[in-house]
Amino acid sequence: MAARTVWAAGRCSEQAGAVNRAVRRLPGLTQVRWSRYGPEFRDPLTDKGHCRKPAAELTEEEKYDQDLGKTQLIKAAPAAQTCSAFADPVISKSTNMMMKGGSKVLARSLMAQTLEAVERKQFEKYHAASAEEQATIERNPYTIFHQALKNCEPVIGLVPILKGGHFYQVPVPLSDRRRRFLAMKWMIKDCRENKPRRTLMPEKLSYELLEAFANKGPVIKRKHDMHKMAEANRALAHYRWW
Amino acid sequence: MAAPCVSCCRGLSYRLFLGLRVNFAQTQGYWQTLPVDAQTAPESQILRLIHTTVVTTKKNVSASGRDSYTEDFIKKQIEEFNIGKRHLANMMGEDPETFTQEDIDRAIAYLFPSGLFEKRARPIMKHPEQIFPKQRAIQWGEDGRPFHFLFYTGKQSYYSLMHDTYGKLLQLEKHNDPFPQKTESMNLIGSRWLIKEELEEMLVEKLSDQDYMQFIRLLEKLLTLQYGPAEEEFIQRFRRSVTIQSQKQLIEPLQYDEQGMAFSTSEGRRKSARAEAVVYERGSGKIRVNGIDYLQYFPITQDREQLMFPFHYLDRLGKHDVICTVSGGGRSAQGLLTSDPRVRERKKPGQEGARRKFTWKKR
Repeated sequence: MAARTVWAAGRCSEQAGAVNRAVRRLPGLTQVRWSRYGPEFRDPLTDKGHCRKPAAELTEEEKYDQDLGKTQLIKAAPAAQTCSAFADPVISKSTNMMMKGGSKVLARSLMAQTLEAVERKQFEKYHAASAEEQATIERNPYTIFHQALKNCEPVIGLVPILKGGHFYQVPVPLSDRRRRFLAMKWMIKDCRENKPRRTLMPEKLSYELLEAFANKGPVIKRKHDMHKMAEANRALAHYRWW
Repeated sequence: MAAPCVSCCRGLSYRLFLGLRVNFAQTQGYWQTLPVDAQTAPESQILRLIHTTVVTTKKNVSASGRDSYTEDFIKKQIEEFNIGKRHLANMMGEDPETFTQEDIDRAIAYLFPSGLFEKRARPIMKHPEQIFPKQRAIQWGEDGRPFHFLFYTGKQSYYSLMHDTYGKLLQLEKHNDPFPQKTESMNLIGSRWLIKEELEEMLVEKLSDQDYMQFIRLLEKLLTLQYGPAEEEFIQRFRRSVTIQSQKQLIEPLQYDEQGMAFSTSEGRRKSARAEAVVYERGSGKIRVNGIDYLQYFPITQDREQLMFPFHYLDRLGKHDVICTVSGGGRSAQGLLTSDPRVRERKKPGQEGARRKFTWKKR
């Protein structure tokens, strides 16, 4: 019975695939975003620990998933994806967003230099500080990066809704993905625009990251502005229909 | 029809010109000109066309409205096919008893070589069941009363199937005990529900997507209950087996070189890059690409990470040696192992690129 109930959850993918295929065939609707992979393909698993578990430890759900995986087609892993412990999805996403014109090499080197700069600054601070302060100083650049972006994420966003011929900025709850995207976007944009001449991106970005980590700086200010506008337009919240 | 008069013909051709499908048999009955006086002029003859309806025996068209093949016709075709198959086997010098469809295809391709690009236009010889679409017999008797009680729904097979399935569901729900014993579930992994096309073929009826989804939902609900062998047999009719993907990938056996070291060769490609890799059993993790060390061939870290990925996944980083040759493509495509079907999307006319449209100008 457990297997069958679990299968009901797993069925969603098949139904989604079936719905996808149904959408494809409906005469009025044409799929705009199509890919070389059909709907039956599933994403590859790069998690190394996935196949390390002995059979006894697997729960029924995982066993079912593993069996299902044998019959399903798998997409090829993208070039940037590895099972390395150093690969961080947040860092990869930010690198891609910083990339211009497809030059991944440059974007990756900039990101590496940024993290190095953050670490160097933190170490300088660490060595210059007293014993009590040394305990509070964070030196791992990855934690600083994650925390800084988390501090920059807005909680609520504004969406222009057309009503009666005018566009009103309506406060709307944002999904996790959208929040992470906005945080990264604001950070990168701010660093590109408000940079004094002759400063390089890693330097500026590391400075902004450290400021955001300490909950101050222009990106945090932008987040607070967004929150204030949402609060001011609170009366328009009922324009949202979803 | 007797020698058609000029005006009748003209009337007919006018209708044909309008593009209407005219069944000649029907028009003969429907459209008739009255006998015209010989004194009147030929032009006025056309204007004076008077149409009268005459009762004729119409062809009894089946519900689908297509040309129906009678059972005798199909039987005759099957007999002819079987005889023809034996003749063909004799012609090719093979045993008529063990002449399979593949042999037939090969023989036809040999005897009637065709250079046509459209595969469906080439000569084929297949069993009549595959050529003639499945027909439904006439569904009503001589008095015009339909046989099936769900005839007037329009999709009698589908609705009767739904009716049966729901009946089974209700029966099982009635007998369902609150503490079910664990029965061995049938192989859900190695099989899938039949797709809409297959169901349509089975029922010889057109279905909508919603109908199909509704039916699958009913079957899935049936699966959650305790069922017996009869219901299992019923459900298995709607399951098709799925190939196990891991078995599809052919793993070639290991080859051994002069020193007795095992190695394995494989090919890979992405976009226009082609690569051939030879992995040796014992080694120290050295990789040579086109005779050059991988550190020099792939100066970018990401490419080397891609190379390391499979070894890292299996925890065999420094244990194998690899010698590979690559050609074509760019630096990113040359690093990949699994076949990646993604290629550059073509540019479409009316757009600037694959997705980018031209700038919208109001006027």
